[in-house]
Amino acid sequence: MIRFRAFSKRFGNHLAVERLTLDVGRGDVVALLGPNGSGKTTSLKAAAGLIRPTAGEVAVGDPPRPSVLAEARRITSYLPQRVSFPDTLSGLEVVEFYRALRGAPGGRVQDVMKAAALNGAGERAVGTYSGGMVQRLGLAVAMLPDAPVLLLDEPTAALDPDGLCTFYGLVERHRSDGRTVLFSSHQLGDVERLADRIAVLVEGRLVATFTASELALRLADRGVMRLRVERTSDAVLAGVRTIAPRATMVGSDLVVPGPAADRPRVLAALQATGATVLALTAEEGRLDAFYHELIAEQEERHP
Amino acid sequence: MSAPGTLAMVRLFARQELVLAVRSRWTPIFAVVFAALSLAVGFSGYIVTGGFGMQDFARTAVSLVQLVLLLVPLTALLIGVMALAPERGAAELLFAQPVPRATVLVGKLVGLFEALAAAQLIGFGAAGLTVFSQAGETGAGGFLLMVAGSLALTAIFLGIAALISVGNVGRRARALAIALVVWFVAVVLFDVAILGVATLLRSGHASRLLVTAVIVNPVDAVRTGTLLGIEGSAAFGAASLAFFRITGGSTAAAAYLLVSVGAWLVVPTVLAVRRLERADL
Repeated sequence: MIRFRAFSKRFGNHLAVERLTLDVGRGDVVALLGPNGSGKTTSLKAAAGLIRPTAGEVAVGDPPRPSVLAEARRITSYLPQRVSFPDTLSGLEVVEFYRALRGAPGGRVQDVMKAAALNGAGERAVGTYSGGMVQRLGLAVAMLPDAPVLLLDEPTAALDPDGLCTFYGLVERHRSDGRTVLFSSHQLGDVERLADRIAVLVEGRLVATFTASELALRLADRGVMRLRVERTSDAVLAGVRTIAPRATMVGSDLVVPGPAADRPRVLAALQATGATVLALTAEEGRLDAFYHELIAEQEERHP
Repeated sequence: MSAPGTLAMVRLFARQELVLAVRSRWTPIFAVVFAALSLAVGFSGYIVTGGFGMQDFARTAVSLVQLVLLLVPLTALLIGVMALAPERGAAELLFAQPVPRATVLVGKLVGLFEALAAAQLIGFGAAGLTVFSQAGETGAGGFLLMVAGSLALTAIFLGIAALISVGNVGRRARALAIALVVWFVAVVLFDVAILGVATLLRSGHASRLLVTAVIVNPVDAVRTGTLLGIEGSAAFGAASLAFFRITGGSTAAAAYLLVSVGAWLVVPTVLAVRRLERADL
């Protein structure tokens, strides 16, 4: 349904996306993950027909049509990162305008306002809305056309809890209806919860694709467990190092880097030394370090 | 339910823009200021010559031309740019809809023109009714020509505002600054510069420069055309007079001016549409 073929986009001297090839099939929920400036927004905008490729092709639909054509945009619904609406219009007027534009049935207006938890604020001017409400209004507009392809640029960045529920519901509904969703996010939780596949972009290049479970596993490998233990000793540290050789003492904390899967065995080894665990925290791998690791891996494969 | 046709979409955008213009403070302020100034100009013509009461339509129109040339391009540029250079998030959502970009731009321009035309017609209407009640219908044709000139200037400068805006999506402050520079050059600086240069040239070259100036600048074209229609060449300045002499009379002069105004009505909007269709948003 969405096809990037060697898609590149250059803005002046800056190459925002470099030869991106990615297929998002019917019914797929795919997340674009990457640091700021990695080309996520540019790729989504290209799929939404807002920017033209400098090289390569971006097409949507079946059969695929160049995304810049108005006919291609008929099957997509796009929500930008920081959506805004005229302050003097009411929420209902905004949604009614887009309903008329998309030729959606009249009943959809109330449906999407309710789904976005805005049915009590529909008569109010958008200028009186909070940031979260404006983003929910954007979601309401994105839901209007029942489009087969949904394109969402960091949809959860400015969402309040009500908005998050709306967003998760929207994506789940699209998945169960066999529709296609391509979204970008910095929130690992969103990505793991919603995406079937994750495409990692760094500095405009696609550096890896994972399933949600593969990504979770990779990040877990980079995790750290911190333990506060009663009566630490060299024997305790030696016991832990039989499982986690990189374990160290930092102050009074025992710091154990390594895969999440090893953690129960580390705890068992601690118990075997007779130590008592007073407190335990676990951190999964940091994304920025993970991105660097992926770049290094890619450079090793394609020097 | 199917998507609306092109004309219905143009109307949809026009209606939306009209609603936004009416609800914004600038268009109603423009209507009130325009009405007040039009009435003031109508009365002041006699007062400055020691008379009292309202001028007739022709005199009021001649007096109002200067107000129109100064105020109408400025308001069309500023209100146009504010409406047509939306914030990036708004533009992205709008242009991601399955509507050709040209339709969006033309629809918005139609709505803005309707709003500004309505504001001017309120102002001119107030002055016109007062003139009619005080001085009768003499010279009403000239007054209507001045109104038409004002509406033409509105459309021309909205087209120029569109051209400025499409090159500055998400950069409204920059677009507004460019609009002010364009207004200053077209309305204030252009005539001064042309007359200054003309004084340095030999007579023949100076005349050709002045004639070109009348055709090239839409403000001069509308000024010359309106004054020509109201009072012949009696109220012309140096550039308009040179233009009138070289073109060889009222009919030919009017034809040249109509072509100039027609080109200015079409070219900026067409360029804006072409630029918008190629723009990355």
